[in-house]
Amino acid sequence: MIGKAVFWVIVLLTIVGGLGTCLSNSLIYAVLFLLLLMGSVGGLYIYLGSPFLGMMQVLIYLGAVGILLVFSVMLAGPFWLKPKERGRFLKIGIGSVLGLGVILVLWKGLSGYETKAGPERVSQVNKLGKLLLTEYALPFELISLLIVISIIGAIMLGILGRKREEKDALE
Amino acid sequence: MPWNDPRVFQLLSLFLLGCGLMGLISRRTFLGMLISFELILNGAGLNLMTVDRFFHQDLPIGEAFTLFIMGVAASETAVVLAIMILLFRRYKTIEEEKLRGLKG
Repeated sequence: MIGKAVFWVIVLLTIVGGLGTCLSNSLIYAVLFLLLLMGSVGGLYIYLGSPFLGMMQVLIYLGAVGILLVFSVMLAGPFWLKPKERGRFLKIGIGSVLGLGVILVLWKGLSGYETKAGPERVSQVNKLGKLLLTEYALPFELISLLIVISIIGAIMLGILGRKREEKDALE
Repeated sequence: MPWNDPRVFQLLSLFLLGCGLMGLISRRTFLGMLISFELILNGAGLNLMTVDRFFHQDLPIGEAFTLFIMGVAASETAVVLAIMILLFRRYKTIEEEKLRGLKG
């Protein structure tokens, strides 16, 4: 009973987060709604029978990506001079047409599949670990390489940008 | 139990995709577009995990790919934010319509 109530609350929070992210006027509110959404998607992962992925979601998305986004909102201000958004009417019009179109297309395409209630599933972290170290070892290593490259790239962009700025200031 | 029904999760991930597309079109700053893109990636991860849980029982391949999506999203966010802050330093704006240096 409590589990059911918590589940529907999490679904509601996901919907509120999605709507708030795409409809809110100010960017910092959009980021905060996005954080709410990421946390509730983590809760949904737990209900899907994988607490490990829920924890990873909180760790990576809420911890790393969320902090990065908040920092960049802070650094790339001044947002009190509000960037012009497209009009609300146009926004909701485009959004509803696009969303309904996607939903219709996917509904048509997927309605042939029968949906069955799956059995309860226990967490499969040991299988996941074996999978990542045997069959998907190459993508796993490539992900770590990608992250290293992106860290070095971000640092280099920062250094080069600063040098150019100093040169501009001298001239 | 409602969480044994795949349709709830699939409709939710579809909803996230729709919200992300809408934000991607209606936002005018790079940061807003990046936020909407994160929404789409979250929807994709949720969908992969749902398919893995309900329609594919033996090996957790969907979980592995959701982890890969998280890694790619994190690195992509880092690089895009570095580029964006660089652009902001040079041009003092991150609105896409004012950044026309690459337009032929």
